[in-house]
Amino acid sequence: MLKIIKNEWLFLVRSRIFLGISVAFIAILLLSVFLGNYQTQKQAHTHDTAKEHVRQQWVSIDDMNAHSAAHYGTYVFKPSNLLSSLDEGVNSITGNVLKVEGHVQNEITHSEASQMQSISRFGKLKPSLLLQYIVPLLLVFLAFNSVSNEKQSGRFKLLVLQGAKPLQIILSKTVSVWLYGVLLLTFILGVYGVLTFQNLTSEILTRTLLFFVSYALYYFIISGLTVFFSARWQNATLALTAMLGIWIIWTIFLPNILMSSAEKWHPLPSRSEFQAAMKEDRAKGIDGHNPADERSEALKQKVLKEYKVDKISDLPINFSGIRLQADEEYGNSVWDKHFGSNRAILKNQKESVQLGGIINPFISLQNTSMGFMASDNLHHQEFLLQVENYRRVFIKMLNDKYTHSKRTAEHNGNADNAFFRSVPDFEYQPTTISAVFSNYVLDLSLLIFWSLLVIVLIIFGTKKIQIV
Amino acid sequence: MMQIQILFLFLHLSCINRYLAMIQIQNVSKSFKGNLAVDNLNLDIKKGEILGLLGANGAGKSTTINMLLGFLSPDAGKVTINDIDTSKNASETRKLIGYIPENVNLYPYLTGTENLDYFCKLAGLKYSKNELEAYLITCGLAKDAHHKKVSGYSKGMRQKVGIAIAYAKKAKVYLLDEPASGLDPLASNELSELLKKLASEGATILMASHDIFRVREVCHRIGILKKGILVKQLNSKDVSANELETLYLQFMQN
Repeated sequence: MLKIIKNEWLFLVRSRIFLGISVAFIAILLLSVFLGNYQTQKQAHTHDTAKEHVRQQWVSIDDMNAHSAAHYGTYVFKPSNLLSSLDEGVNSITGNVLKVEGHVQNEITHSEASQMQSISRFGKLKPSLLLQYIVPLLLVFLAFNSVSNEKQSGRFKLLVLQGAKPLQIILSKTVSVWLYGVLLLTFILGVYGVLTFQNLTSEILTRTLLFFVSYALYYFIISGLTVFFSARWQNATLALTAMLGIWIIWTIFLPNILMSSAEKWHPLPSRSEFQAAMKEDRAKGIDGHNPADERSEALKQKVLKEYKVDKISDLPINFSGIRLQADEEYGNSVWDKHFGSNRAILKNQKESVQLGGIINPFISLQNTSMGFMASDNLHHQEFLLQVENYRRVFIKMLNDKYTHSKRTAEHNGNADNAFFRSVPDFEYQPTTISAVFSNYVLDLSLLIFWSLLVIVLIIFGTKKIQIV
Repeated sequence: MMQIQILFLFLHLSCINRYLAMIQIQNVSKSFKGNLAVDNLNLDIKKGEILGLLGANGAGKSTTINMLLGFLSPDAGKVTINDIDTSKNASETRKLIGYIPENVNLYPYLTGTENLDYFCKLAGLKYSKNELEAYLITCGLAKDAHHKKVSGYSKGMRQKVGIAIAYAKKAKVYLLDEPASGLDPLASNELSELLKKLASEGATILMASHDIFRVREVCHRIGILKKGILVKQLNSKDVSANELETLYLQFMQN
């Protein structure tokens, strides 16, 4: 096999057209890596600057009513991810700024796609775009006549006569073409590694390795299928047409069809439906700003009884703070119910799409690519959850402060600068690969399944291949 | 008693003949989608013998060669090389065969030496550069062409490399399918001399061709195939080129 692989590579190395295309493509790939890295660095810098600015605003508050501060709120920024310079996934459309404030769970805003039309229309030039769409096409063009050409020229007979088995020839040609894709992938990851050398961690390396494995498996599927078709059909055009058809179905039609079907099977409520449902449930709870509210009155009686006093003014604390926190906690339970339901629906959608990998390995590749590069919806949902958890801690601190800062003749009831400094800033805890891996085992397994299927197809299909 | 002696002598000669025959085609028929390509063909070719198969397009020459190569199995009958059935043990018989098709399509991006080296390595043979060049020279390829890419070779030069591949493999049997087709007279003559040399070294050669004169010149025996049937076998010594042409045309026209 090695002799045949070596000979195939000699052909590639000595072909000026191939070298020209390779050099041009590598240049585009390099450009995409540099651009991706530049954008990520720039985004990280903007993120750090904005984060620092917002924090400075917060810690500069000298004297403010804690509840006013809860309305004043703060902003959290979705940190740019070093890995997303390879695959941006959903990041460019999900937004990256979220306002954290009392009473309300805001939606994330300021997505790149919403601000740059070109991104929403064409996406960004990221290595994943080239690695997912263009490299497989290159592999198809390299392989579509690899065996049919040998058969038409009569060399296939000569190769078999010299002792090479048809299976050996087809597998060797598959490996030769596959190696080209793997080399491009290795080259890109190598350049990426050099550019991000200082920030490389074992977590990033593990994720990159899994990213590499996913792509290597997909390239094997594409190479193997193309070489097999080339061996099966004497007519190279037929093999090329078949593979281009498969490429179009796998990369363009099926992902859209599968996504639409998943959305239809597990529909998310529309924004207006969702907001109306939230509002309806929210109205059943305490209104933090309305002392005349029935439920507020019940809470008041409970607190008065607890402190064994008859009037709010006799309380050693600020009852408004307790009412606001009760309102907040009720709001949290409403959020948990509705967003929990949405998360369950999204999970079902994701699982349905993952199963699409049975008929379309490209879906599995896209999932693993985004997943291992931490730019999938799962990571985004995790970010939103962390922000909400932070918001709860943040607002509770402010409400507690408000509760225990009763206005007196000596004290205006406001919180001082030391308090605002004591409120922790939001720190995003990146999801570890061990937590993510289980979500993508199915996709990886399907890629392995497809690779094995291609090997089986080659082994059994080769027996039926006519040499003359 | 005399009859028994004659019978033993006949059986003995038959055994010797079988022993000497490197290629044996016995009662072989082959059809494709109901069309008979080879019809009850019987043919023996001895060691050191060159047999020419003459016939028009579609006469069954290439089908016969493909059965000898083990790429096709006969529907009936048996094809053996060195007493090994080609359809049952093709990998063994292929070790003995050198095959030179009408167009020897080598790898155009490799030089003559590199092509020879590659095909030898596939056959499990490793030769030094000098040995490879010696094979090419033996097969008539001029030294200055050895390190030029095959894309610049003429058809005759490629044929020589093709023969060198078979020669370096130490093939016992050479199967040539229209080898002289499209060659200039000089290259064709060189090919004839080379085949005679190989036969003199003990190679068994089957050459399918349209070229009556070349076949008459090179081959020891000639068979004429028509619609898959071997209509005539003769020794080339017994017939002149013109007589052979007349005979061939008679068979083809009837």
